[in-house]
Amino acid sequence: MRYLRLYGQFLKFSFSRSLEYRLDFWFRIIMDCVFYLVEISIFLVLYQHTDLLGGWSLDQTLVFVCGYLVVDAVHMTVFSSNMWWLPIYVNKGDLDYYLVRPVSSLFFLSLRDFAANSFLNLIIAAGLLVWSILRLPGEISAVNLFWYLFLLGNGVVVHYTMQMFFEIPVFWLHTNRGLLNAFFSSTKLGERPDAIYPTWTRRILLTVIPFLLIAAVPARVFFEGPSIELISLSLGVSAIMFLLMVAFWKLALRSYSSASS
Amino acid sequence: MIKVQNLRKVFRVHKKPPGLSASLKSLFRRDWIEKVAVEGADFTVEEGEIVGLIGANGAGKTTLVKMLSGIIHPSAGEARVLGYNPWEKQDAFRRQISLIMGQKAQLWWDLPGADCFQLLREIYQIPQQQFDHQLNRLTQLLNVGEELNIQIRRLSLGERMKMELIAALLHSPRVVYLDEPTIGLDITTQKAVRDFLLSYRKEESPAMILTSHYMEDIERLCERIIIIREGELIYDGSLRKVIEQYAPYKRLTLHLQNQTLDESSKEIFSKMGEKVKIQSDQVSIQVPRTNVTEVAAELLRRFKIHDLSIDEPEISDTIEILMGGKDFRQE
Repeated sequence: MRYLRLYGQFLKFSFSRSLEYRLDFWFRIIMDCVFYLVEISIFLVLYQHTDLLGGWSLDQTLVFVCGYLVVDAVHMTVFSSNMWWLPIYVNKGDLDYYLVRPVSSLFFLSLRDFAANSFLNLIIAAGLLVWSILRLPGEISAVNLFWYLFLLGNGVVVHYTMQMFFEIPVFWLHTNRGLLNAFFSSTKLGERPDAIYPTWTRRILLTVIPFLLIAAVPARVFFEGPSIELISLSLGVSAIMFLLMVAFWKLALRSYSSASS
Repeated sequence: MIKVQNLRKVFRVHKKPPGLSASLKSLFRRDWIEKVAVEGADFTVEEGEIVGLIGANGAGKTTLVKMLSGIIHPSAGEARVLGYNPWEKQDAFRRQISLIMGQKAQLWWDLPGADCFQLLREIYQIPQQQFDHQLNRLTQLLNVGEELNIQIRRLSLGERMKMELIAALLHSPRVVYLDEPTIGLDITTQKAVRDFLLSYRKEESPAMILTSHYMEDIERLCERIIIIREGELIYDGSLRKVIEQYAPYKRLTLHLQNQTLDESSKEIFSKMGEKVKIQSDQVSIQVPRTNVTEVAAELLRRFKIHDLSIDEPEISDTIEILMGGKDFRQE
C-alpha cells in the first residue's frame, strides 16, 4: 500500500515535469509511432510472400506484433527513463541518496521516473492491439483473452528483469554500453513468432534468455487456449529470473564505491 | 549513538600509464593498486554531539561518512549506528539518519521544494500533523517560506542548500551526516546555515558528524574534532586542546618605543624565532613554545618595549600542520 502511494507521487511528479518540455513530449510520440509503423510493415511485407509464418496467419501475427508493441510501450513509459539514468547514477555516485532512504532502492531507481510523454504511445499501442484482435476471424474466447493480457503483463516483468541483468554489471564495469547494445539486439529475438526457431534455440529463448516469454508465448496461449505447461513455464521462469535479478542487485550494491566528493 | 571499531576501506584502483600503447596494453593486462581510504578508524559519537571530521582532500572523510550511512561497504571492521549495522540498510535504521552533501543535490531539479517534501513525507511515513509542524518550523528557521513553491532549479545556491537542509531534517533524524554543507555559499548564507544547525542541535539533540574545509564551520559548530590523514585518524579530541597539544610555537608581538631598527636588531630577532615580521614599530616573531618566557625576557632586556603580547597560533595553522596539507581555507 505504501509503495502504491509512493508510486502515485512518482506519477504526479513525472507528469508535471514532462509537461515542462513540450517539444520533447511531441518528439517522443512521433518517434515511437514511426517504430510501430516499421514493426507492422515488416510483417505486412513478409506476408506478401507467404501465407503462414511459424504456423501463424497474418491476422494472428499482427496480434502478436501489437502485443509486443504494448509491452514495449509499457516498458518505455514505466521503466526506460530509469534504466537510462542508472549507469549515470552509478558512475557519478548519485546513487548515494537513494541508498539512505527507507525504501527499496531497486523500487525507487526502477520506477521513480514515469515517462509521461510515452504514455500517449501506450494508448496508441493499446489501440493497435484492439484493432488487431478485432481483425481476427471467428469468435474470441474471453478466457483466452484474459490469459493473453495476463501473460503480456508477465512479459513486461520479463522485459524489465532481462534489461536489469544487462544494466547491473555497470557497478563493476563502469560502462555498459556494449552490454546494453547486446540487450537491445537480443530483444529482436522476441519480436518474431516462437515457432520459427529450431528446437534448442527455442528452448534457450524460453528459459535462459526468455525473450519469447515477452509476447510470443502469450500470443500462442491466446490462439491455442490456456496451456498449463506454457503458463507455468512463463510464470516460473519469470519469478526465478526476478529473484535472481534482486540477488544480483544486492551483490552489486556491495560493490558500489560511490564517487569522490 | 555511533560506535566505530577498526573500520577499514580499501579501494582497488586500475593503474594506467599515459599514452595509446598503455591503453592498448591495458585491454589485455591490467595493473591494479590498492588504495587505503580509511585505515582502522576507532571512535564514538554521543547524542547531541557535533564532531568535526577534518582532513585534506582525499584523506578519507567522505568515505568514512558514506560507510557510516550504509552507502558503501567497509573492507574490514565494525560500526554500530543507533544499534544497527549501517550497511545492512535496514529501513528502521535509514528512517533515523540523514545525509547532506554540499556537492550533491537530493531534490528534484524541476519541481518546487514543497512537492519534493511531500514525496519525502511518503518515503519516511511522517504523520501529516508532524510533517506540517516540522516543515513550518524549519522554513521559519531558515527563512525560506516564500521559496517553497519555486522550482529548485530557479533558486540561488544558498536557497537550494536551505531546501536541502529542510529535506534532510523533515523526518527528525537522530543521526545527521553533513558533508561540506556550506561549500560554495556566500558568507551570509554560511552563517545562516551554521546558526540553523546550532539551533537544530539545541532543540533535537541529534548526533552529528560534520566535514568541512571551512575553519569557521568547525570553530562555530564543533567542540570536538577528528583529524584524518591519508585514511588514518591522527587526532580525536577537543578543538582547543589540539593547539596545546600540537602547536609547537607561540607568536610574540612587540610594540617598540620610538625606536628605529637597524640590521643588528633584525639579526637578533631572527636568532630568537622564525617568521619575523616587521612593520614600522611593530615586530612579531614565532617562538618555540618552550622558549617563550626566556625569549620575552631577553627582548624586554634588549629593547625599549611599549607593549608585548603572547598569542596562541591560529587553529587552522595547527590543523594544517597535523594534516600535512595546505588546503585548509580560512575566511
